[in-house]
Amino acid sequence: MGKTMLEVDHLKTKYVTRFGENVFAVDGVSIKIEEGKSLGIAGESGCGKSTLALSLMGYYFAPLHYQSGTIKVDGVNITGMKPDEIRKKVLGNEIAYIPQAAMNALNPTQKIFSFIEDVIKAHDPGVTKKDIYDLARERFEILGLPESVLKKHAVELSGGMRQRTVIAISTILSPKVLIADEPSSALDVTSQKMVIKMLKNLMEKGFIKSMIFITHELPLLYNVTDEIMVMYAGQIVEQGTAREMVFDPLHPYSKGLMGSILVPEKGAREAKLTAIPGTPPNLKNPPKGCRFADRCSYAKPACMLHQIAESHLENGRMFRCYLEEKELREVYRDE
Amino acid sequence: MGYKKYYTNKIIWYLLTLVIAVVLNFILPRLMPGDPVSAIAARAVNGMTDSTAIQAVYEDYAEKFGINLPMSTQFAIFIKNAVRGDFGVSFSQYPRTVSNIIASSVWWTVCLQLPAILLGWILGNVLGAVSAYKKGIFDKGVLPVFLFMSNVPAFGMATVLLYVFSLKLGMAPSSGGYGFDLIPTASITFFRSVLAHYQLPFWSVVLITIGGQAIGMRSMSIYELNADYVKYSRFMGIKDRKIVGYVFRNAMLPQITGLAMSIGTMIGGALVAEIIFSYPGLGTTLLAAVKGRDYPLISACTLIITIMVLLANLIVELIYGVIDPRIKAAQQD
Repeated sequence: MGKTMLEVDHLKTKYVTRFGENVFAVDGVSIKIEEGKSLGIAGESGCGKSTLALSLMGYYFAPLHYQSGTIKVDGVNITGMKPDEIRKKVLGNEIAYIPQAAMNALNPTQKIFSFIEDVIKAHDPGVTKKDIYDLARERFEILGLPESVLKKHAVELSGGMRQRTVIAISTILSPKVLIADEPSSALDVTSQKMVIKMLKNLMEKGFIKSMIFITHELPLLYNVTDEIMVMYAGQIVEQGTAREMVFDPLHPYSKGLMGSILVPEKGAREAKLTAIPGTPPNLKNPPKGCRFADRCSYAKPACMLHQIAESHLENGRMFRCYLEEKELREVYRDE
Repeated sequence: MGYKKYYTNKIIWYLLTLVIAVVLNFILPRLMPGDPVSAIAARAVNGMTDSTAIQAVYEDYAEKFGINLPMSTQFAIFIKNAVRGDFGVSFSQYPRTVSNIIASSVWWTVCLQLPAILLGWILGNVLGAVSAYKKGIFDKGVLPVFLFMSNVPAFGMATVLLYVFSLKLGMAPSSGGYGFDLIPTASITFFRSVLAHYQLPFWSVVLITIGGQAIGMRSMSIYELNADYVKYSRFMGIKDRKIVGYVFRNAMLPQITGLAMSIGTMIGGALVAEIIFSYPGLGTTLLAAVKGRDYPLISACTLIITIMVLLANLIVELIYGVIDPRIKAAQQD
């Protein structure tokens, strides 16, 4: 077993609205990633994926606030650190982030190299410009980006190139955990492939030690990550290996999510595409019982009554359902 | 290189605009009702009774001012002379030449307006940026006060300043560019007098400029503060102070257009302040010219305004290509 790179324990963060209401977009999430591993987080829009990504960095600004739980990066608890300490010691060099809209992630009036310089100097003011340039050039070369990009502005780059540049910048300090929030969603298939290849390359070369990949595209996760978590209404409803999650989902929501996408595997294409009826609950007033109950076709009256605890299986799988594994499998078989 | 072509194209358009503006400058004052020459001739013939002699005087003036020629010929002469910087003889301040009148008044205006607009612009941008970033008292208190002031009409502001600081407090002289008992020389007394007379017109322009610039800068800053690159830079561990630097640089860009526009229109804007403070600038001159139906002087004044507006815009466009890579990229297409 490898070293644990990121260990998150019951993390709870909230948005505070203008009217002082609390919205718990990340509600008791626990994550554990070992060195060299990647974790996928899937879920529909608004389930809290992106908020989780932001929460994991331990750097909060309004309207997002920390509530409870711990985040440990390579054994070091960062939840108690002061914001400036996190900024200097954690962001960029321990945990790095690739934003959802990487297209607009770069300052339009700044050259790429100048930004890289700012990033590196923010962590180590003593580095010379030449050292930074050499590092950037070398890293860009390894990642297959032309050196000329360094002297350009973001507007002069194509969408795919911009995205890969952002990835290269995010990982320039060789972070232990890379959080990629839908890094390829806005791209065409070719650019998507290049991005995925680049992320895998970063992992193989050891420029990143572990990765969290957030997306709504499950087939992508199956190709990229070792494990997958499915998130619903701020909670993790199921977790397992990529293979288990795609071919043998246990939680009714995961099953619905898998059923609502085209898995590019033989046989799966013939399966009928089904949508999950209904909409996710309002997190200002989360349901008392199972959060998925009113959309679940297998829900029982008891599901509405209490919070559902996590069930852990022997092989490390986790799911959050009132029904037990055996019961779930029986219901699915009867269909 | 598409860059060069772009600028050549731009300059051609500006020249075309200039030509149209010059034609309008020439024609419009001449379409005003009334005949300035008869007014001047009337002064000259005051007391004369011989109608033939009166007619002769009138024709003499008409010929001197060239208004007996067809409009097209007048225009050709006007252009020919204007290119050499000769705008003819003033009707209302005959026999002074227009060039002479303008040369003596234009610097008063430029020296009053340019620093005032620049200072107002800078203070406005700082206020806008601070109220966007710090919020609180700046956003809820200081900015609204300046916004209120910027919506006070120019004559209102000038009158209030005049009343409070000159009449009531006696802190500054009420009119003129320098003490009426002084002759313009390079002496310290004269300079002091100019500076004292400078205060009220100067601040009346500055105070009005701040609010409008601040509100624009505030919304641009708020927009930029929420941009994706701000969030990304934060998560890359860059200090907030540095990020604020990015934000304000970007938010400033549209403000440069605002600056160019106010510099271009400063003579028109100077009118009210100059008239109220009897400041010897171009605004006062323009007013006198309009009142005296002084075609050459009006044309020359409006021509200067036109050229300044066009020049300011052209410079902004040229600068933009250098400071904003997005525009540069668009221009190269």
